[in-house]
Amino acid sequence: MTYRSAATGPLETYRRNVRRGLALVLSDRTTTTYLAIICGAFVLALVGPWIAPYEYNQTVYVDGRIHRLATPSLAHPLGTTWEGYDVLSRLLYGARPSVLTGVLGGGLIISVGLLVGVTAGWYGGNVDAALMRMTDVFYGVPLIPFAIVLVALLNIGFYTSIAVIGLLLWRNSARVLRAQVLQLKARPYVKAARATGAGNTRIVVRHVLPNIAPMAIMFFALGVGHSILIEASLSFLGIADPFVPSWGVMVRNAYNSGTMSRAWWWALPPGILIATLVVSFCMLGRKYGSMAGNEGNGTTY
Amino acid sequence: MVSVRYVGSRALQTVFLLWFMLTFLFFFFRLMPGSYLDIMMYRGADPESIAVFKENWGLNDPLYVQYGRYLVNFLGFDAGLSVQYREPVWDLVRRRMFNTFILVAPAITLSYVVGGVIGGLIGSRRDSRAGEHGLGALIFVGSLPSFFVGILLIAMFSMWAGLFPTSGMVSPEVTRTYRDAVWWRPYLTGDFAMHYTLPFVAIVFRYLYFPSLIIRTSFIDVTRQEFNEFYRVAGLTPRARLRHQLKHASLPLITLYPLSMTWALGGMVLIETVFNWPGIGQMLVQAVLSRDYPVIQFVFFIIAAFVILSNFVVDLVYGVVDPRISADD
Repeated sequence: MTYRSAATGPLETYRRNVRRGLALVLSDRTTTTYLAIICGAFVLALVGPWIAPYEYNQTVYVDGRIHRLATPSLAHPLGTTWEGYDVLSRLLYGARPSVLTGVLGGGLIISVGLLVGVTAGWYGGNVDAALMRMTDVFYGVPLIPFAIVLVALLNIGFYTSIAVIGLLLWRNSARVLRAQVLQLKARPYVKAARATGAGNTRIVVRHVLPNIAPMAIMFFALGVGHSILIEASLSFLGIADPFVPSWGVMVRNAYNSGTMSRAWWWALPPGILIATLVVSFCMLGRKYGSMAGNEGNGTTY
Repeated sequence: MVSVRYVGSRALQTVFLLWFMLTFLFFFFRLMPGSYLDIMMYRGADPESIAVFKENWGLNDPLYVQYGRYLVNFLGFDAGLSVQYREPVWDLVRRRMFNTFILVAPAITLSYVVGGVIGGLIGSRRDSRAGEHGLGALIFVGSLPSFFVGILLIAMFSMWAGLFPTSGMVSPEVTRTYRDAVWWRPYLTGDFAMHYTLPFVAIVFRYLYFPSLIIRTSFIDVTRQEFNEFYRVAGLTPRARLRHQLKHASLPLITLYPLSMTWALGGMVLIETVFNWPGIGQMLVQAVLSRDYPVIQFVFFIIAAFVILSNFVVDLVYGVVDPRISADD
């Protein structure tokens, strides 16, 4: 009855794969934890600015004087900064840019990586050689120095700096995905599909992409983690737009204020949040990759 | 053995790449928004001083003449004047290169030694819980932002425990004491060692995961090879077998060592900024923030040259380790 139609539609296949992937992630306690942290970060990014008790740039006054570096209390669960801002509110505002950077950067990384990797692996020959030389060149680029020079000298904003990060970091995924496609090309079912007269697009969409999906998901997760990491690093160095309220900018302000020995509640929370989010994405990606059978391929990247 | 032709062709490629990088950077910074003139003269300078300035800095000549002059000067260790300090770039960068190098080279070397041991340990226990948790812990460390590692170390060991200084390379008193001594005298003081410890630990800790993961993967590959079976049959003890396996598994480390150095060199930008260490990474950030183009250009070239040269070294080592690789590949 419905067996045939359920099994054959490409959409249905993808839906089934998503369900399986999710079941795989939820079958392990560590990956479930990471997924929960990530979902928490997404919720914060969505509702953070609404539930923040104070405005982002609202200076708190007590008896007409700025409430500087107040220790954590009920009114200010994470204390205040030197400028008298509420740390918790700033953290809640900061979730959105950080998560947005990760998702956009990771999306860009895996899009370019898939495009380059699959094209090179599938077409082979000169196309492959040219694309892989290009990837080699990107491997030689010293990441942070290059990003600093580009972002700072071109005076670029939030979204363009994400684009710079994404366009630098796709190199790992392209190389590994290409190798994966090369292996798939030699599989009997791909050859059979070709023998029946299926075109390139059809074989790639129906047979290649579903099979490299676990690896692509792994690189997407790693890409999200790395994008957040690089954005935070650039913000910390004072290179990225200081008016975007990201956690990296917060760490920088706290560090530069020279009050770290007195006000641990200012510098540590954003740093811990960045580290937790990056680690969650990277660990989830790698763990999922190894559970889906990519052991040894991507674990060293 | 490596053929002369192989070395020759790789050397030629390397020289070409260095020249290409130099040229690219020259034109890249000329085409940046805001000319040298805008950066170095205040807005609304009178035409006369602008003319004098242009004449002094050779900005009246066509671009290719400027480029030629730049190349010739560069070969004589002259990379121009820094805009913010009005001093030769080479003089500014030389000491900072040394500072970066003495920090990053021993730290990465130690991370390879420690990482090799850790990688072998978790590789030989890969099916146990300890091996799995060890791998998890390594990836955790590898995903931490390096500036955060630095901040944590400063918070823990210098602010709360008060064991180490928070920033800088030597105390001002030491600098004053040895003002007239040889330039390397301050490096031999205990004060320098105290300043050195935290950034050193940060780099070792932060870059430990890479050699460990490499060794682990390579160790697992090696234990699947047939010679293990042979050694077992031949009656070698597990300990003796482990020694053989580790020897085989450590091959990739040799080739990846220079690569790690280049990554760490890029990452030094963050470590040096956190610890206020006067190296080229910190200099790059300062130069970028004050738009000191000659310095940016030169520091970036140094980092790129390091990447290019270490790739050259890796190729040569590959050639020695695996003679099947030839210049034709």
